[in-house]
Amino acid sequence: MTGLEARADMIVCEGVKKWFGDFQALRGIDMTVEEREVVVVLGPSGSGKSTLIRCINRLEVHQEGRIIVDGVELTNDLRNIEKIRSEVGMVFQQFNLFPHLTIMDNITLAPIWVRKKPREEAETLAMELLDRVGIPEQADKYPGQLSGGQQQRVAIARALAMEPRVMLFDEPTSALDPEMIKEVLDVMKELAQTGMTMIVVTHEMGFAREVADRIIFMESGEIVEEGTPEHFFTNPTEDRTKLFLSQIL
Amino acid sequence: MDEKREQMDWVAAVEVAGEKPPEVPPHGPVVWARENLFSSVGSGILTAAGLLVALVFFKAMLGYIFGADRKWDAVATNLRLYFTQAYPDDQYVRVWVAVGIALALTGLSAAIWRASGRVNGYKLGGWSFGVAGGLLTMLVLSPFSWGARLIYLILALVFVGTGQYLRMSHPKIEVPALSVVVGVLAVLVGSLWVVPYGRHTFVNGEVQPPRPGTVAMTTKLPWTVMLLVMVVAYFVGKAVRDKVSPGLSKGLLVAGWMLLVPFDYFVILRDPALDYGQVFRVDVPIFLFFAVVGSALLWWLSDPERGEIGRVVAGLMVIGAGVFWLAAAFGLSVRQIIRIDLLLLSVVAVAAPTFTGEKAVRRRFILGWLILLALVNYMAMMVNTDSTVEVPGSFPLGGFSLTLLVATSVLLMSFPIGLILALGRTSKMPIFRLLSTTYIEVIRGVPLITILIFFKIILNLFLPDGMSLGNEMSAILGYALFSAAYLAENVRGGLQSIRKGQYEAANALGMSTAQTTSFIVLPQALRAVVPPLVGGVIATFKETSLLFIIGLFDFLRIGYVVVGGQTAFVGSQRENLLFVAFIYWIITFSISRSSVQLEKKLGLGER
Ligand SMILES: Nc1ncnc2c1ncn2[C@@H]1O[C@H](COP(=O)(O)OP(=O)(O)OP(=O)(O)O)[C@@H](O)[C@H]1O
Ligand SMILES: [Mg+2]
Repeated sequence: MTGLEARADMIVCEGVKKWFGDFQALRGIDMTVEEREVVVVLGPSGSGKSTLIRCINRLEVHQEGRIIVDGVELTNDLRNIEKIRSEVGMVFQQFNLFPHLTIMDNITLAPIWVRKKPREEAETLAMELLDRVGIPEQADKYPGQLSGGQQQRVAIARALAMEPRVMLFDEPTSALDPEMIKEVLDVMKELAQTGMTMIVVTHEMGFAREVADRIIFMESGEIVEEGTPEHFFTNPTEDRTKLFLSQIL
Repeated sequence: MDEKREQMDWVAAVEVAGEKPPEVPPHGPVVWARENLFSSVGSGILTAAGLLVALVFFKAMLGYIFGADRKWDAVATNLRLYFTQAYPDDQYVRVWVAVGIALALTGLSAAIWRASGRVNGYKLGGWSFGVAGGLLTMLVLSPFSWGARLIYLILALVFVGTGQYLRMSHPKIEVPALSVVVGVLAVLVGSLWVVPYGRHTFVNGEVQPPRPGTVAMTTKLPWTVMLLVMVVAYFVGKAVRDKVSPGLSKGLLVAGWMLLVPFDYFVILRDPALDYGQVFRVDVPIFLFFAVVGSALLWWLSDPERGEIGRVVAGLMVIGAGVFWLAAAFGLSVRQIIRIDLLLLSVVAVAAPTFTGEKAVRRRFILGWLILLALVNYMAMMVNTDSTVEVPGSFPLGGFSLTLLVATSVLLMSFPIGLILALGRTSKMPIFRLLSTTYIEVIRGVPLITILIFFKIILNLFLPDGMSLGNEMSAILGYALFSAAYLAENVRGGLQSIRKGQYEAANALGMSTAQTTSFIVLPQALRAVVPPLVGGVIATFKETSLLFIIGLFDFLRIGYVVVGGQTAFVGSQRENLLFVAFIYWIITFSISRSSVQLEKKLGLGER
């Protein structure tokens, strides 16, 4: 990538505000994520990171401002929401696999019923994805029979099976034992290299430094600072960022 | 999960070390008794006291059951009355056909679901000892003649011998549990041909003195055929199961089980007098119309490219069908079946965009519509045709068959209603929530017997002129509406156990509410509440005995009032009640046993 070619805006947030009751979780977020960009969101607990990315696929509803995903604005219109959700993949901290379905069914369910794909095609794609995340031999097992790292990789494959344009990750490694974190991060790195647009909330600084195109630092529902990993880790400008980094590094 | 992982680690460790776990030597009854019954002075005393109580109780009970002046003849002579009340003798083959269909389904299901449980010789030997123990207890405690005691002793010795042989020589052989069950049934049925149970009959309402010999041909022959039907069905199922896709065969069997009761009752046992002229003039054309027009419409609607206009059309159809039903109240007279078909088509049309996809799925969807339509039209036609079976009352069945019909119909009807109520009560839409909650709370606040009486007395007043539900049908309807409320509460428990992450994951994948509910939420919710659901099934079955109070001839009434009131058997009420209680117990006990199996099976893939 030359950095000069014009990239389309994939996600645009303009003055996004969100309240839970009287508590304001997002205080006017302005943010643009371009196609093929990998953005890592950092910030202390409770700063609104999850809320922000959950607003992007409408798991939470923002009250003010605009969110535009791939040219479609998020409104209450059901059709828009379904369209955006099937173009935005999401990976959760707690995996959230469907425990009553086999790994294969977990991955093919949505492509078959939402994308209306023929079963054979969906299964072929699922096997390719399982290959890609390194566990093709687990297709007929149930989630409960897999380790945490394997489950999270299945969750990534499940999201990818919808062939999304954007992937959102909400602390994908926080519920994992240390020895399993790397296998999931490796899959995410590989995904970033293929040019997927990604927003990743994580506390894995190594990943942020190595993979992110841009880092966004949030606190108290605001974006405090953003920039390249280099800028962010070597000479941050804001005091709050410095404080956060001193605590975490 | 952790437990499983631990187990696996343990297995792995053993493999690495190359050692087998130490084998626990099979220990005899003495060791068992010392460890379990007399491990300390206190427990020894308690065991002895418990044994004494059991001894006194069983002696009294057996003394009563086998007392010389017991009138078990009353039961033996009236078995047919007990099970089918006054179903005419010359039509009795219909009863056997109805039972045969159920047993054929049982055999097929065992094959298709691969009932694969196995018991080893050691366990079988244990069971054999158990039977011997039972026989010995009876022979000691019962007031038998010495001749009878000798027979019991010989039988007990045979079982002890078998048990000992199995345990000593073949403790490890594995026998399919299914073979054991069929074997036991075969012995029981075979005994009908050789053991002189005696013959007890009515001839023209006169009780005949019991005659020695084996039971009548009209008993032993059909039962033998029934057993054969079940076994043959099993082998047929085994032969075809690898040639048919498991999804299809299981789907067909589930449909078969759901249709069993209405088919057996309306088509076989009622023997409706079809007028074929009418069938070809009216029923077939209506079916063909809906088949052709419906299929075309659904094909159009289920095209993934259809988009919003499809939902609008489907919505309009629902409204149209609703208006059509309302119009009936204002005197628009159309054949009921047209209204039903229209409603059915509109509901299926609403589901079309959600549950279809590419061509193959759409074709299967249309096929499903045709089958559903055919079944509904066929059953409606049969239900609307008068019965030709001549019985004294207005209803062809009575006794156990009525109890079974009511229980199964109630369960079949209350399940979908209960599901809808549970979904309504947990729905985000306030109007559904309000309606469901009100319904559930009102029904749960009223005793069942009140509802039954209400339906018996009042319901027919509300029905349009010329239409009437018999007492039996009103009772089924009232009972089903009652059960549905309880079922809904059980299902709601399951719905609440689904974690939020499951909904979020489904939403994030773009699944609609209907898809999330039917593929993600309900399957997990129902699995979670199998134990209370089975409890509900058992309660429903037992509480059909309340039909007694509203004057229906259910199993209890036949035993307590009808048989107990026969002049030939005056004073046999206690025997009859014991028999009725025993049969209820057998059924409910089997249900609760099989639910344990079901739980084990469902637990497999999970967590
Ligand atoms: N459903 C909710 N109802 C009420 N308050 C909520 C809800 N969800 C989040 N909040 C609040 O909003 C704030 C932001 O929450 P959010 O989950 O976005 O934080 P986060 O940055 O993801 O933190 P963490 O790193 O702990 O995950 C928190 O103070 C939280 O308590
Ligand atoms: Mg969070």
